[in-house]
Amino acid sequence: MFLNLVLVLFFIMDSIGNTASYLQMVNGLNPKRQKYIVIREMLIALAAMILFSYIGEFIFSELNLSEATVRVASGVILFLIALKILFPSPTSLRANLPKEEPFIVPLAIPLIAGPSLLATIMLFARLEPSQVRLLSAIFIAWAISVGVLWNAPRLHRLIGNNGLIACERLTGMILILLAVQRFLEGIAEFIPLYCQKG
Amino acid sequence: METGQSITHLALTYFLVTNPIGNSPLILTLLKNFNFDKQRQIMLREGIFTFLVMLVFQFLGEYFLTMLSIEPPALTLCGGIILFLLAMGMLFPSHHENESKLIQQEPYLVPIATPLLAGPGLLSVIMLTAANEDSTFKVSAAITVACVGVISVLYAAPYVQKLIGKVGLQVLEQIMGMILTLMAVEMILMGAGNFVKTL
Repeated sequence: MFLNLVLVLFFIMDSIGNTASYLQMVNGLNPKRQKYIVIREMLIALAAMILFSYIGEFIFSELNLSEATVRVASGVILFLIALKILFPSPTSLRANLPKEEPFIVPLAIPLIAGPSLLATIMLFARLEPSQVRLLSAIFIAWAISVGVLWNAPRLHRLIGNNGLIACERLTGMILILLAVQRFLEGIAEFIPLYCQKG
Repeated sequence: METGQSITHLALTYFLVTNPIGNSPLILTLLKNFNFDKQRQIMLREGIFTFLVMLVFQFLGEYFLTMLSIEPPALTLCGGIILFLLAMGMLFPSHHENESKLIQQEPYLVPIATPLLAGPGLLSVIMLTAANEDSTFKVSAAITVACVGVISVLYAAPYVQKLIGKVGLQVLEQIMGMILTLMAVEMILMGAGNFVKTL
């Protein structure tokens, strides 16, 4: 179950898929600067994730949301994001990245800590009784993602542009599965709820 | 008898989803700068890559399923949705233009073997059948049979183009798209039905 949390968070961060976008943005900067950017952006992303793991509960009670709502909503968001990865359109954010140094936007948010990741963290914060487990899962998934981006130039040399595209597609595939699964879970939770009220 | 039918059925499904006939015009346009012999060599190489990707997914796919706690109805539905989108792309082919723009260099594994032939649709079909079938050997055998078919079509593709021309291939692609749409809707309905049963 813990491994499941880590894996899901890691795939939604999609660091392997974002490697190509990241390299495109830092192209031309010296390696030291690149590493500095990775650490800075990833720390910002981590801060966003931890923030959402705490305010998740607050948003739940304040907006009077049910778990089913968040499951269905995050499933739909994740599905659309995965579709963009699988069938890239020439007008998407990924295809039109600004050719300058990233600061918060777009690398930290939304590429790493996007809406789907934040919604997922909110959901997990609600479902997971132990805060420590969730935080350590976030941290482990985050650390692996930092490792991937830190070694991005090496990874790029090793598997090439085409290999990166293949990995990105693979991640898209996994994300779409997660999305449909979560959507179905949301529906399954909603139906008994609805029947009770009706 | 039962086993034989099932292998044929699986192999036919894999073959149709891999869609070597429909993909041939696209692959040929990607390879138009190479001469006839080089084209055939690339086709053979990409066919073998496709086979490897499929086999890896047959085994790793199941591992992923349990790891990410994804249930069979979600997999079926997801496969159906992706196939449906692919089929729409084949029937209304503006989507193919995007895909051919993606990579302009010499093709190596990507785009021919992996996104095109062993695409998300095929991989989810393989993951699905690997999860549903008891016998690993049966799926592997079906993959092998399908790949023999796929590789032969790819290897013959440079001739096929000469024989039926570009228009003929386009017509064939439309028909494959129609069949794929039917398969996709069938999968979506199956997935939805299985999901409703679990409620």
